[in-house]
Amino acid sequence: MKKDNLTRWMFLLGAVVMVTLPGQALAGEVYKLGLSLAITGPTSDAGNPYAKGVEDYFKYVNDTKMLGDDTIDCTIRDDQYKNDITKQNFEDFLDQGIVFYLNYSTGSTLALKKDFEEVKMPVIPASFHAGNLVDSNYIFLPIASYSDQAIGLAEYIVTNHKGGMPKVALFIHPSAFGRGPVEDLQKAVSAGLALEIVEVVEHGKDLDNTAMLKRLMSKGVQYVISQTVQSPVATMLKDADSLGLVAKSFGEEGKVTFLGCHYTGGNDLVALAGAAAENFYWTTSYIVTNEPSPGATAQLELAKRYNRDEKAANSHNYANGMMVAQVATEVIRRAKAKGKEINNVTLYEELQEMNGDNAYSPGTTVGPVTYSKTDHTGVDSLQLYVVKDGAFRSAGTPFIPKYTGKK
Amino acid sequence: MSANRWLATGNYFTSYREEQRIFFTSLDRTAMALFILGLFLWPFFIDVGNKYMLVIDNILIAVIAVMGLNLVTGFAGLISIGHAAFVGVGAYTIASFARVFGENHFLLSHAWPVMILAAGAMGAFFGAIVGLPALRLKHLYLAIATLSFQMIFEWTMKFMDFFNQGQTIAVGRVFWLTGEVSRSAHYIFWYYAILVLIVLVGFAVRNLLRTRYGRCLIAVRDNDRAADAMGMHPGLTKVYAFALAGFLAGVAGALHAYLYRGVGVESFTLHHSINYLAMAIVGGLGTLPGSFMGPLAIKMLDMQVEQLSEWASSHLAFAANLATALKPLSFGLVIVLFLMFEPRGIANWWRIARSYVKLWPFRY
Amino acid sequence: MSYFFQLVVSGIVVGSIYALSALGFVLIYKSSRVLNIAHGQFIASGAFITYALTVWANIPIYISFPASMLATFFLAMSVERVFLRRLIGEPIISVIMVTIGLMSILDGLIYLTPFGAENFSFPPFLPTTPIGFAGVSISWTQLVGVVTTFSLIACFTWFFKKSTVGISMRAVSDDQLAAMSIGISVPRVFGLAWAMAGLSAAAAGGVIGNITGLNFDTLHAFGIVVFPVVILGGLDSILGAVVAGIIMGLIQQFASGYLDGHWGLSGTGEVMPYIVLLVILLFKPHGLFGIHEIERV
Repeated sequence: MKKDNLTRWMFLLGAVVMVTLPGQALAGEVYKLGLSLAITGPTSDAGNPYAKGVEDYFKYVNDTKMLGDDTIDCTIRDDQYKNDITKQNFEDFLDQGIVFYLNYSTGSTLALKKDFEEVKMPVIPASFHAGNLVDSNYIFLPIASYSDQAIGLAEYIVTNHKGGMPKVALFIHPSAFGRGPVEDLQKAVSAGLALEIVEVVEHGKDLDNTAMLKRLMSKGVQYVISQTVQSPVATMLKDADSLGLVAKSFGEEGKVTFLGCHYTGGNDLVALAGAAAENFYWTTSYIVTNEPSPGATAQLELAKRYNRDEKAANSHNYANGMMVAQVATEVIRRAKAKGKEINNVTLYEELQEMNGDNAYSPGTTVGPVTYSKTDHTGVDSLQLYVVKDGAFRSAGTPFIPKYTGKK
Repeated sequence: MSANRWLATGNYFTSYREEQRIFFTSLDRTAMALFILGLFLWPFFIDVGNKYMLVIDNILIAVIAVMGLNLVTGFAGLISIGHAAFVGVGAYTIASFARVFGENHFLLSHAWPVMILAAGAMGAFFGAIVGLPALRLKHLYLAIATLSFQMIFEWTMKFMDFFNQGQTIAVGRVFWLTGEVSRSAHYIFWYYAILVLIVLVGFAVRNLLRTRYGRCLIAVRDNDRAADAMGMHPGLTKVYAFALAGFLAGVAGALHAYLYRGVGVESFTLHHSINYLAMAIVGGLGTLPGSFMGPLAIKMLDMQVEQLSEWASSHLAFAANLATALKPLSFGLVIVLFLMFEPRGIANWWRIARSYVKLWPFRY
Repeated sequence: MSYFFQLVVSGIVVGSIYALSALGFVLIYKSSRVLNIAHGQFIASGAFITYALTVWANIPIYISFPASMLATFFLAMSVERVFLRRLIGEPIISVIMVTIGLMSILDGLIYLTPFGAENFSFPPFLPTTPIGFAGVSISWTQLVGVVTTFSLIACFTWFFKKSTVGISMRAVSDDQLAAMSIGISVPRVFGLAWAMAGLSAAAAGGVIGNITGLNFDTLHAFGIVVFPVVILGGLDSILGAVVAGIIMGLIQQFASGYLDGHWGLSGTGEVMPYIVLLVILLFKPHGLFGIHEIERV
């Protein structure tokens, strides 16, 4: 009889322990986040390191207990650059109860804009398309838009050009992604930016740009601003190089200086174009790992900690992914510090208060991240880089473009 | 007619008319009725969440599109590598309307069944135009002509400002008897809307194949010269096969536009055309049940692989590349294995299973 | 005027690369009546193998280039043996779909390697100063591309005209039954045709990879880009592929050279080939040099 009782108690005790133990191990809250991006398919060369950056940083947050006992659970899904699958992923994330969403492509960000409004979900996409912000309250660009980048490059041309009116051609991707900055740049020109846009070239799957380059030369074009992905730029640079057209110094007379926005540059361009990439000017708001900085050290250490290869570790898109993860973690941390409940509404409020003294410096960018009710562009500063001896080096200090039409 | 109206073990036809019936036994009819009833009732008992409802809606839309593709490629034997472009034509009919009259125009939000039909008509019109080369072209040359249509379609959408350069054109929410369909009810509402359409279209196609016009398609596929000699008009038949396919594709496109509440060219690329073809093949070319099973099978495969690769990438750190490779790899393998070992598709298994049940307890 | 000649030269350069890419389609179609949609993937893998041999294994490029051609030769041959052999006699749609499935499988396999998501470029091994003549210039990379194309096409032409194996392949494409009756192994001919297509794909991959750099998206897109070329030339004519390749190259260059930027048009080089193709097909349903099939009831 007694023995029976004992075993019964033992069982009960065992059951209690079994039930409470895992509960204690997971005492902290779990914040769910979602990221849908192209790990395969078009633009996967950018999406791949981006995903790694996001994944590693959230792992780092959990491993170092940056949020105390609370953890971040960020589901990363491949959408193969297809809007339909992105929508499917987003609905799934909503079903799972995410508090913050990270998106990727221009197309899907525009396609889901209305959904973001309806469910009041703060979103940071990897697309810096200025059109993302039109009629939208919940989309936040991590860094200056493509338009701002192009205008920044144009301003740099205007300040550094010697002689008359600089003649500029635009080399763009045949999509809204590529065409986005064209109109804004034209607006900047009519607002007084002293340069002439001679031609807007939309590229295809070209094998030979010789004719195009010669046409531009005959029109007296001295600068080409590219807004596309690396591969077409590399082909153009190679052709220009073999024609001996590439300027050795900025704005060299009778030659062409090539410039490009965020997704045209980085180590991938050097990998594709080889020596022809020399003297290519590129602008972005991210730091590069060629040059020592606290951000670069942090980036390389993070990549090393999670056994990433050299290529991923040094990619500016790894920094890109890392930075959006940093911002997401930071808003959660701030909301928590204020004792708010963590949900999409509080995080949205927190994001909009990220300005003035509350500006956030992630280290992976050349300036602080600032958001407010009216400003949904994170890092406003841009840094110009130029390829010297096969690596991107800073040219000048970070600057903020003036003709962007922002007040 | 056999003595038992429920189980007919064997063939008791005494006239061609009987052979053309949709349901051979009362069991067939009852099973079908119960199945359709089940499709209408299950959402009352099970809540699958928005994602899976979206996936289910997607499968149903693909079913309509694949029915169209099956008409032109399966029954009439004209390979179309541009089916997604026809779906796109339907979707862009809705989008153009939204662009001209505003996304919340009365016709768009209240008279949506009419708009869906209009999109179908537009699809049929383009189908007939693209079908015109079929008068002269055959086999691969025709396949490439449809591919050309696909390319020209994509370029036009990406190029023209009117179509927002291929970026999403928003389409507003629709109204039903109970007022505006809200976000939470959106996917379930469209589930029912598409389901009703599928039942209608399914019976329409089944009936078409019982008529002279349906049999014409098959005759032209098997040998168009012979069909010509028999007094059919192969040219006309081919063009109208394309028009029919275009109609169903257009309807599917309009549904897609409403379901996603927006139209972007990225949903109607060559890749999607290939996907539709894969669905038709895996389901079974030239069969009606195949049009239902193909989309279901391909989408299920997609979901399974997604879960598998998610599991793989979370448990095996080195497997990140493996996870991304799994999707194309499995998609390709399924197509290839089906073509090598079951070229008649899943519909053939269905046929075998049915005939087994029908003849039971006898073997043949 | 020199702009015009530049367009002509560029058109011929681009066109001959198209011809080289199209050659693979024609070789396969000519003997086995299969349209290989996965050809772009073969082109990409040819380029990647060349890169891997040159850079990772440190083999000089003039050895690694032929070596990669040999590798794709066997790759394509085994693909035919495993996947296509079973489908002899199946309807066209099945065969097309098998190659589409193949395309997906090869995609998946390439995603397993670093080439799936990363970019590379060949180390420069040619002089970088272009050859200029009367205001028209052509780079060494392109010149080598053109030379490779034409020497390869010359080899194939000789092979089909003179060698016994080549003649037996022509016999098979003419009449399979008759060829079999005189003791030609038809499956072997099919395998050989695929192998040769693989070889030409590696050549095309090497040439294109040198021009654009190694990006998987860019490379495999060539499988689709050259469709109009193959169809325009007629699916079963090597000469057709060359002529159509150059025509398409010229059309593209002229379209983007003279149409783009006028009347608000842009990117016409991408779509023009398809429009021209549709128009020509209406008048010549079997392409420019394709053989009319005689159909019997």
